[in-house]
Amino acid sequence: MLELFVYLLCGSILVSGILAVRLGNTLAAAGSGGLASLFAAVCYVLLGAPDVAMTEASIGSGLAVLIFLYAIRRTTEKAP
Amino acid sequence: MAEGILIAAAILIFLGVAFGVLRLILGQTVVDRIAAVDMLTVVSISLIALYAHVAGRSMYLDVALVYGVLSFLAVLAFARYLERGL
Repeated sequence: MLELFVYLLCGSILVSGILAVRLGNTLAAAGSGGLASLFAAVCYVLLGAPDVAMTEASIGSGLAVLIFLYAIRRTTEKAP
Repeated sequence: MAEGILIAAAILIFLGVAFGVLRLILGQTVVDRIAAVDMLTVVSISLIALYAHVAGRSMYLDVALVYGVLSFLAVLAFARYLERGL
């Protein structure tokens, strides 16, 4: 059952990464990128590395999305 | 009894992740996708908590705690962005 969850999370990371590249809207693309990081953190927990997962959750899923949103706000004149 | 409850929770979390990703793929608007991200965050926290109980390690609950606080901040930032704040 643990292997099944790891396979599901790896497939979800793949789908989120492809969507982050392919989506036209930059806001949804930033959300998909954060989601890929989130699934990676859960995968780290399931594989037995909780400290790596905590760092990944705080940096990749929290700070990176905020910086992306700030950059999107600063580089577009009008909001979508 | 407890084993059956754990297996039922695992099946529900599996279906939640699967349908959440399906909504993320199919969603037409941005709000659909952000709602899917929020739901997947909650499902992921429940998955970490379930695994902490199954593996018998209470340190994984700290990861779930950090995860809940930070994902809340990310979704709040998305909401502020859509309301032209930030």
